[in-house]
Amino acid sequence: MNKTFDRYASIAFLAIGILFIIESRKITASAYGSEVGPNIFPLGLGLVLVVLSLRLLYETFKYQQTEKRRSSLDYKRFGIIFVAAFVYCYFLEDIGYVLSTFLFLLIGFQTMQQGKIWSSILISGGFSFGVYYLFVEVLKGSLPGLPTWLGLS
Amino acid sequence: MGTLDFLINGFSVALQWHNLLFAFFGVLIGTAVGVLPGIGPMSGVALLIPISSTLTGGLGAEDAAVSSIILLAGVYYGAMYGGSTTSILLNTPGESSSVMTTLDGYQMAKQGRAGAALAISAIGSFIAGLFSLVGLILLAQPLSEIALRFGPPEYFSLMLLGLAAVSGLAGKSMTKALIMTVFGLLLATIGMDNVSGVARFTYDIPVLYNGLEFLTVSVGLFALGEVFKTILHKEANEGTIAKITRIIPTKQDMKDSAGPIARGSLLGFFLGVLPGAGATLASFFSYVMEKKISKNPEKFGKGAIEGVASPETANNAAAGGAMIPLLTLGIPGSGTTAILMGAFIMFNIQPGPLLFEEHPQVAWGLIASMFVGNVMLLILNLPLVRIFAQIIATPPKYLIPLIVAFSVFGVYAVQVTTFDLVLLLACGVVGYFLASNDFPLPPLVLGLVLGPMIENNMRRALTASNGDYMIFLQKPVSAVFLIASLLWLVIPLVLKWKGKKVDITESM
Repeated sequence: MNKTFDRYASIAFLAIGILFIIESRKITASAYGSEVGPNIFPLGLGLVLVVLSLRLLYETFKYQQTEKRRSSLDYKRFGIIFVAAFVYCYFLEDIGYVLSTFLFLLIGFQTMQQGKIWSSILISGGFSFGVYYLFVEVLKGSLPGLPTWLGLS
Repeated sequence: MGTLDFLINGFSVALQWHNLLFAFFGVLIGTAVGVLPGIGPMSGVALLIPISSTLTGGLGAEDAAVSSIILLAGVYYGAMYGGSTTSILLNTPGESSSVMTTLDGYQMAKQGRAGAALAISAIGSFIAGLFSLVGLILLAQPLSEIALRFGPPEYFSLMLLGLAAVSGLAGKSMTKALIMTVFGLLLATIGMDNVSGVARFTYDIPVLYNGLEFLTVSVGLFALGEVFKTILHKEANEGTIAKITRIIPTKQDMKDSAGPIARGSLLGFFLGVLPGAGATLASFFSYVMEKKISKNPEKFGKGAIEGVASPETANNAAAGGAMIPLLTLGIPGSGTTAILMGAFIMFNIQPGPLLFEEHPQVAWGLIASMFVGNVMLLILNLPLVRIFAQIIATPPKYLIPLIVAFSVFGVYAVQVTTFDLVLLLACGVVGYFLASNDFPLPPLVLGLVLGPMIENNMRRALTASNGDYMIFLQKPVSAVFLIASLLWLVIPLVLKWKGKKVDITESM
């Protein structure tokens, strides 16, 4: 078990519990046709969460830190893919599904393992066009198409 | 109409050609999901919800629901089949419920009996699937009739029991499991309150009025969480894949596994029906039981076919058994069934006692399609096991980014908001950190799915009693459920004090 993480997590959950308690007090306590207002359930749960996270906090002081397994995590690879995914999600509607998916996959494949650029391009292109074609043309779903400023559509 | 008529009716639904196709794709994808180490049954089912809903877009509301649920259920039990393949061939379980299979399965593979091990686990899974379906058919009607007499207080307490059971058995620390449950319930309160219409915790942000979408949260937590873990830990499939030579098991193999298969079906089924226990526990217990009653227990761990037959049978029986509380009571007993329940709700179909009355097409169609799916799996798995074994070799280089792209597509196709995509990524990160620090995720999803129903039933019960909380104890059935849920949480603690360790790793 990771003591530090558990301690931070318990404090975070404590804060979430308190937040829900404070905020649920702002919700109206009465509701037409119902004896119990919409505030009771979150209020009660917030209290339970506070109690539980205090209990977890107490537990972190009790047990010993077991082995310290710091196997080197690949933060660089994760960072690149995560940022790429975030940018992909954020701009999906602006630059369209096909282009953004193609770029994200290309970056993803090359970050996972460099080389074989042509097969990466082929798979990314195949996936993004294939999904778009199947979903929009065959199944009549809706996805943002190619950006209008390309002047293609 | 009797049960038999309903069943025949169900078959007429399941045997429609498009439903056959859905069942086929479901079990095919499920097997692949089970084989691939990165995705478990939970992320597999969650990922396919959006796909199934688009595929069925052209059908009527109820037909679409039947077809989608058939596909998703196929993924669920298909994954149980597929999970054994990697355990046997690579010594790495594809999901947690086939951990026990590695003990003897890999040893068998080393001795050149991989084919027999795979075949026996397919046969065992098939028999278990049929057995649990018969159980489901027999129990469905009586159970839902009992459940129909339940009022809001009974339902409230029953759902608490479900939550307590899952939290009591999930993960290493019960405190953490309970935190996850309560957190899930709290997240479910975000959005419009459907009793009073009051907006809660929305802060005038329009996308929050509908609440956090369960689909986004579960795809993020499970699928992306797993992906991030694989990226960070540089997990790779090392070791060589054992060769498969002879597939048909010998007569001696069949004779040796008959007993374990029969006992595994029975034990797995009953553990599956109980909420919280699930497939992982079932495979564990049945393996231990076989070892205990075996005449020569020293064989186990050295390639005994009984050690493959029993856990693989039990985990499939449990997967079937877990459908019973979901369909008849509307209470999922595990993470995967919670996700299935979310899918039902997405299609505007409420699982529970009324399901069999209001939507007999859906309920019996699903049951009949599980028969069909199990037959398909047996046919698929015996001759094609070599091809499935090839899937293991899919390079993670392509697999990982494709899963991310697939999750993004799935969520966007259903939700069509950038907010949900950002939430998806956030849930992925949170899911990774929580899961890698022993915070079990299934209770969170369960809380999120059950939250609105628990709250509604609680408020309806309290309205009937004029705000008197004692109503939950005055109704005898409800009181029994409450006491049972208390015991479920207290007994593991007592056992721990006595020095016995109750340690069940995250169940499916």
